[in-house]
Amino acid sequence: MAPVRLPRIGVLLPLLRVWPWLLVLLALAAVRLSKGALLTDAYGLLSRPFWPGSAQREWISSAQRLGDRARLDQLERENRRLRGLLELPAAQGRRLQAAVISREPGGWWQQLVLGKGSLQGIGAGDAVVAPGGLIGLVASTTPSTSTVRLLSDPRSRVGVWVGRSRNHGLLSGIGTARPLLRFLEKDPDVRPGDVIFTSPASTLVPPNLPVGVIQRINADADPAPEALVQLSAPADSVDWVQVLLP
Amino acid sequence: MALLSRQPWLVATGLLVPLLTLASPGWLKLDGVPPAWAVLWLLPWALSEGRRAGGAAGLGLGLLLDGLHGSPVSLVPGLALLGWWWGRMGRKAPPIQRSFSLGLLALVGTALLNLSLMLQWALLSWRGAASMLASVEALSGVAAEGLRQSGPQASLLALPIWRWQDLSLVGLQILLAQTLLTALLAPMLCSLQLIFWRQVGAGWRGSSV
Repeated sequence: MAPVRLPRIGVLLPLLRVWPWLLVLLALAAVRLSKGALLTDAYGLLSRPFWPGSAQREWISSAQRLGDRARLDQLERENRRLRGLLELPAAQGRRLQAAVISREPGGWWQQLVLGKGSLQGIGAGDAVVAPGGLIGLVASTTPSTSTVRLLSDPRSRVGVWVGRSRNHGLLSGIGTARPLLRFLEKDPDVRPGDVIFTSPASTLVPPNLPVGVIQRINADADPAPEALVQLSAPADSVDWVQVLLP
Repeated sequence: MALLSRQPWLVATGLLVPLLTLASPGWLKLDGVPPAWAVLWLLPWALSEGRRAGGAAGLGLGLLLDGLHGSPVSLVPGLALLGWWWGRMGRKAPPIQRSFSLGLLALVGTALLNLSLMLQWALLSWRGAASMLASVEALSGVAAEGLRQSGPQASLLALPIWRWQDLSLVGLQILLAQTLLTALLAPMLCSLQLIFWRQVGAGWRGSSV
């Protein structure tokens, strides 16, 4: 057996000498095949001490917030001035915080009951907003409670417009979570993703409160196109809302 | 007189129904729909008291619950009929003891109650649809340009309407969820109440006869 094996080892000898290089080659091929995974990971690890720190990110975002707020203030002032010039109704009056003491988001009546009523100055027809936008209008009040008819209730009707193209429509609850927007024009310029606001021409709601986002459009509906709207405020999970007093 | 002796209990437990309706906990809801507390209260009361008391309680409870939501549809016809029917059943048929039958009665009752609401909505929508469509058509055709400046008409905003396809879809979902929940709760809650009303009633009858 032994004399037979010796010549074979002699043939493999050069390979044995270069095997570390073969391993290196294999490793490089692996890096190539994984599209540089090890390489970038190593780079990330090495350069970590030089990354922009959280403090810097914080400064930038706070500066951005400050800039946004200043811009918002400026725009609101400008808006008030322009509305005053045009003699349109004022954007909003006082805001009243109220707790939600009963909710009925499903079922035949979609409504909330708030823990404040006519004694605190709430009247029927006042707009109710939650984080995200309008959720409904006050339907009735008692001295210490008020009932809010949600936008998804089949009795709810609110005049809205598409912020981008200024097409007016009527947002009607249809009992599902997503109300139906009926356009009042034959050929509105809308597409899914457009944000809708309360109509600035409506006398029933304060102007330009965000309402929701258009999700699906049925252009063939008769007599005018319709769209399904995803509401932006989660009415079934809010604990506190704001009532906009006129 | 029988009613009088039980009046405090009748009023106290009857008032619990709107309170429970307002405060239905989230974990007791199926798809956002609470159980029909009115049915759960009315069923044992009507079974033990007869059709007249049952019908009257249904009427009163319906009025109370309608006050919670100023709606064009009403619970009164459904609840009054159910009270009357169950009262008649309690007197005419052999006494109902099995909790399984209570569950079945609650199931049928909740389904009928929801159907009565659906029927009212359908009638309202059918009546409102014609005028609604006519006014939208008039506005969208001729006055589109004027509308661009003036916004939607207030008269349009006032019409309650539930499109037929939504009504059948959403209504059926509500009906199924509420029927299932109520029928599941009824054997537990109704049999206890039935025993309670019979005890109160037996006490009074025993003393007066």
